[in-house]
Amino acid sequence: MGRGRLSLVAVALAVAAVLLGAAGAGQASSRRGKVEVQPARTYGYLDLGRQKGYRLVLYVPNKRVVVIYGFRFEHGEGESFGIRYSLYAVRNRGDLDQGEVRARFGSLGRVDLRFRPNGKVSKDGPQSGCEGGSEIAQSGSFVGQLSFQGSGNYFHLSSSGGRAYLVHSPRLKCEAGQADEVPSGSVRGYVTPSPLISDRHSIALFDAVGHSHGRQVRISAVHQEGSAPGAEVQVGIAESRHGVAVGHGIYLEGGRGTLLTSLPGAHPATATLAPPAPFFGKGVYAEESQSWSGSLGVRLAGLKVPLTGPGFHVHLCVANPLKDRNGCEYFKGEPPADERAPRPGWVLR
Amino acid sequence: MRVGRVAAAVLVVVVFACFGGSAAAAAKGRAPERWLDMYLQGSDGYSVHISSGPSGHLNLKVSKGWFSATYVTRDQLPAPDRVKAQLRGMGTVSVRFHPRGPVRQPMTPYCSKRQRPTLQPGLVRGTIRFSGERDYFQVEADEAKASMEVPKKWNCRYAEKDVEFDPSERDWVSKFTATGDGVFFLARRYQPGALPTGDALYFTETGELFKKTPDLPWLLIWREIKVPAPASTFQDAHPEHLTISPPPPFSGTGSLVRTPESVFTWRGDLALQFPGLDPIPLAGSTFEPGYCLREWGCIDQHLD
Repeated sequence: MGRGRLSLVAVALAVAAVLLGAAGAGQASSRRGKVEVQPARTYGYLDLGRQKGYRLVLYVPNKRVVVIYGFRFEHGEGESFGIRYSLYAVRNRGDLDQGEVRARFGSLGRVDLRFRPNGKVSKDGPQSGCEGGSEIAQSGSFVGQLSFQGSGNYFHLSSSGGRAYLVHSPRLKCEAGQADEVPSGSVRGYVTPSPLISDRHSIALFDAVGHSHGRQVRISAVHQEGSAPGAEVQVGIAESRHGVAVGHGIYLEGGRGTLLTSLPGAHPATATLAPPAPFFGKGVYAEESQSWSGSLGVRLAGLKVPLTGPGFHVHLCVANPLKDRNGCEYFKGEPPADERAPRPGWVLR
Repeated sequence: MRVGRVAAAVLVVVVFACFGGSAAAAAKGRAPERWLDMYLQGSDGYSVHISSGPSGHLNLKVSKGWFSATYVTRDQLPAPDRVKAQLRGMGTVSVRFHPRGPVRQPMTPYCSKRQRPTLQPGLVRGTIRFSGERDYFQVEADEAKASMEVPKKWNCRYAEKDVEFDPSERDWVSKFTATGDGVFFLARRYQPGALPTGDALYFTETGELFKKTPDLPWLLIWREIKVPAPASTFQDAHPEHLTISPPPPFSGTGSLVRTPESVFTWRGDLALQFPGLDPIPLAGSTFEPGYCLREWGCIDQHLD
């Protein structure tokens, strides 16, 4: 990528990679032993500016899918950090190779855009561990119609103005594990909540996934070994509304009292989760009664979502850092949440 | 005034200043490094070793048993055979070296024959006067046994030849550290029989820097103590719960506990009393604890 656009785009693309990359992790690229192939792909990006603190982006991760997403960084108490995001994904009915992006977002809006290059082209070699041709990025703009209203009415788009890029990435041959994941075919997969939190060196980890009326909710809380009192907390909500896959989420660093657990080896195990706003209430897990109950919920994008109840599959790990050197490592290698079978119970180390 | 980080920085400067070997100096055409060392006996059984080297600092080290304190300040005279230093109201050293007897090349531990230093025995004359905090010891002399040493390698100094007792790294089975502002506490539990006395060893080092004022030079004080003790003073049968109660001059108990927040707290009334000072707390929320089991790994808890 050219240096000039890095500053503008890097953050938004990095966020896209984190939010959407995890979503497509269900299908790996062609893997044959020590070598894997990263297929050629075309992707597009349109910076839609800021509204109410949200950076808004139209992202076309491949020919088939269009995503509109907004994210906002938040700072809590002290140096704590947070991010709030919303994702809307639908099928692209345009031909991205021809620069066309055409999609309907149900009652939320529609896009009918065509990419107009401005002549500036930059090349970037393959990522580390891969070989093949260079990625070619054309800069320019999208022209046409765009109207979109985020659920909860917290942003409204009516213009496609903004810097745009169309990028052609060639087929690459990579060392095993170095190729980018190939997004799955499911549009829902682009908004399914996946952990943004690292569980490496986590010594207390709580994860609950629930499904209800087509909505999937996942809340995760992790305390890393050696860190100050508190826990990193993430909640993700995914649902389909009239052909639009909608995801909302928040990640924050909660302070003292966010996650309390029984100690390793203590039975029956217990955990209490009480993150700060926009969460409210408290959730209590009890191994003895196999229950996850309480008033815990979250207010997100105009929704008030309960986060406890019998419909949640709960996992609690309380690791001894002297014995479990890498911590809980629960998220590592797990299947996407929407493909996961119900869990058999609780594991306590 | 305690300024632990400043003290550490000064230590780094001092250490690096010591690293310049005389061989390297000779190779670069500079005068070889010379050290003037003086040995005295203080009151109450304390030994005193005063040294001045190429760094331009005067070190006055007081020791007795497992305790030592080193007072470091600026040597006002650059001449290798003369020393003049004010130890911030605690005393003064102003002497001149007089050689006596033939030059020797003594052996030093862990150093080869070719690395033997050159040693000119002699004595110093002048004024040596020093009192520890609250007069825990005094030394006063107008003459003392001394030597002028030219080392060939920085760690082959004859005057520093006394290797302090330190059991092998391989022998400890668990250890605990607590790091505070200008204070480092270390406790180790050893395999049975690894220590001559007991199976636990407690070590504390403190650094205290008094900054230079218009009237007084800077003064850096390092204090350390090493105390062997029975294994019963180091209770860590539970892998995430440790209780330490070392013998005097330590007092009280410190406990490492994992809380429901999965935070490891280090609390208690554990303290250490150095000669001439009030007890220094060694436990509390201002300390960063670390705990290691040799066969498993370590826990390091950072402060808020």
